[in-house]
Amino acid sequence: MTLLTLKELTADIIGERAKVAGEPHWLVERRREAWAHFAQAGPPEWRRTDLSGIDPTALAPSSDTLVTIELDASLERLGVVAKPLRAALTSHEALIQRYLDTAVAPLEHKFSALRAALWQDGAFIFVPKDVAAEMPIRVRYHLPPIGHTTLPRTLVIAEAHSSLTLIEEFSSPDQSVPSLAAPISEIFAGPGSSVRFISAQRWGNGVYHIAGQKAVLEQDANLEWTSIGLGAKVQHIEAETTLKGNGSQVNWYGATFAGSDQLLLTGPWLRHVGHRAESFMQFKTVVNGNGYSVFDGMIKIEHESAATSTRLEEHALHLSPQARNDSIPGLKIDTNSVLKGGHASTSGDVDEEQLFYMQARGISKTEAKRMIVMGFFSPALDSIPVESLREELEATIESKI
Amino acid sequence: MSNDLVIKALHANIEEKEILRGVNLTIRGGTIHAIMGPNGSGKSTLASVIAGHPGYEVASGEIWYKGQNILELDPDERSKLGLFLAFQYPVAVPGVSVANFLRAALNAHRSEEGKDPKETAIPMAQFRKQLREGMQALEMDEGFARRYLNEGFSGGEKKRLEILQMTMLRPTMAVMDETDSGLDIDALRIVAEGVNRLAHPDMGVLVITHYQRLLNYIKPHFVSVMMDGRIVRDAGPELALELEEKGYDWLREELTA
Ligand SMILES: Nc1ncnc2c1ncn2[C@@H]1O[C@H](COP(=O)(O)OP(=O)(O)O)[C@@H](O)[C@H]1O
Ligand SMILES: [Mg+2]
Repeated sequence: MTLLTLKELTADIIGERAKVAGEPHWLVERRREAWAHFAQAGPPEWRRTDLSGIDPTALAPSSDTLVTIELDASLERLGVVAKPLRAALTSHEALIQRYLDTAVAPLEHKFSALRAALWQDGAFIFVPKDVAAEMPIRVRYHLPPIGHTTLPRTLVIAEAHSSLTLIEEFSSPDQSVPSLAAPISEIFAGPGSSVRFISAQRWGNGVYHIAGQKAVLEQDANLEWTSIGLGAKVQHIEAETTLKGNGSQVNWYGATFAGSDQLLLTGPWLRHVGHRAESFMQFKTVVNGNGYSVFDGMIKIEHESAATSTRLEEHALHLSPQARNDSIPGLKIDTNSVLKGGHASTSGDVDEEQLFYMQARGISKTEAKRMIVMGFFSPALDSIPVESLREELEATIESKI
Repeated sequence: MSNDLVIKALHANIEEKEILRGVNLTIRGGTIHAIMGPNGSGKSTLASVIAGHPGYEVASGEIWYKGQNILELDPDERSKLGLFLAFQYPVAVPGVSVANFLRAALNAHRSEEGKDPKETAIPMAQFRKQLREGMQALEMDEGFARRYLNEGFSGGEKKRLEILQMTMLRPTMAVMDETDSGLDIDALRIVAEGVNRLAHPDMGVLVITHYQRLLNYIKPHFVSVMMDGRIVRDAGPELALELEEKGYDWLREELTA
């Protein structure tokens, strides 16, 4: 199959290819609809995300998604499924039809439409009712050959009272020409379920990462979400947790490090719908060199919610005078019934007193800085259940200090 | 090479304001030397300048230790030379555990130029043993080592941690800035015993305090008084008692008379 660029593709070609690949009718139609939207939509109006360095329409979506999925055999025996999404279309079509595209809206903007129209493959994770999947499941996305676009997607369905830990990684070597990665991650946490989700973006230089991630929590569901952004040239992540069910809870930790020539934007939204739902969000950002990072978070407390508790903390650490970070936290409340709300925000250089205290014990300035940065990121790093991954991420962070 | 800490005509400023106005003082190696003085007289400033705090500008003067003018050294180099400052206000470092911090400090002291730090690093088992023994001696709870450095610590916990660090780093000259403040009698006793175990004859100590209380537990060989950025009197331990009894005003009057 020849690879066509976005300029050369048409709805008919896309539909035809999906049919040939044996995709069900509903999916073929969804792709066509999304493509029609993509074709007519103007470029997204993102004020801070600079896409001038890449022309997505000149790139060809790769024919396949490079993904590695690791599932411990003990989990397989419990009925846990973790397999390529395309293969799951055969084994779990009804579930996929029911959930796919219902969390991350496909027609929101040009890139969401592009992702919905052209995703090639991804990971399908399913944990049956009452099953506790203790060993972490790992999904690793890699980049296709240079100059191609990858559009992978993760679909997680945790049934009632189940639990799981999922690590989703995006990694690649540095790229000599701009590449585009446009992934979707959707997580459905059933009633009373516990989900730990660690998403780590550590692409090489030159990658543009434009992602949509969303979790929907049913009654009493609990989500521990860690968002790590270290790599890529440009990152634009629209992420959301919808606390749909009564009594649902999320603890969301972020660690972003933008070094020289990086623009890393994260837009985590919390949407409170259920009653007595509780959310805690703590995002930490380090910027160095001429790096630029943006925290574009939002807490929306919807009309139908009641007795919401929410707290947002965002902290930024500057390692160089040229580095920048913008923090634009938003709060929208459409109800009179909020139980607790809190917000804390700091931004500044590495604390001179901390440096001096550590140096006074013989620790060099460089090492003290390293320890302070690692300590700053510790809530996110401590949540990583795989020691080797944690060490890899720490090494990446260290190399950027 | 002398183990004496020799301060000569030291002038230092904060934000253009002269705080130390010609300090001359010698702390003899292996002795306990107290500096007393009213609040605001410059005692903490002197301690900070000895340790190399970057916020103070040294206008002139010298501080000699082990054959070097330490004013030319970075704070970490001074520490490796054997100097230690027990802070009046220890600093919290979130996310860095007490154990990791202590290990990093020990390893920094053990590092040698041209050698792989892995080679000189303290073996984990040895570190754990040393840490456990140090904490036991100071009656510290085991869970303490896992807590983040000074974060949410009570005044007493912070001071004990300062002494624990001193115990593990084994300095040859320690400056203790108001280590007694914020301690109840029990904690004061434990901290003082910790200092006495390390002091004379292996470690010189400069005890900074504006109360005599601590000096009941850590007995000084010499007492100096600081006022308005200068050392105004050098004497023996009896001076501390006299100051406790009569306050500082008589001395001020005597000096201006
Ligand atoms: N960071 C600072 N900025 C400005 N002035 C300071 C600062 N720290 C201390 N000072 C001033 O320096 C003088 C000496 O303070 P300090 O050394 O803390 O005295 P002591 O420890 O003897 O109580 C005081 O007048 C104090 O107000
Ligand atoms: Mg003081």
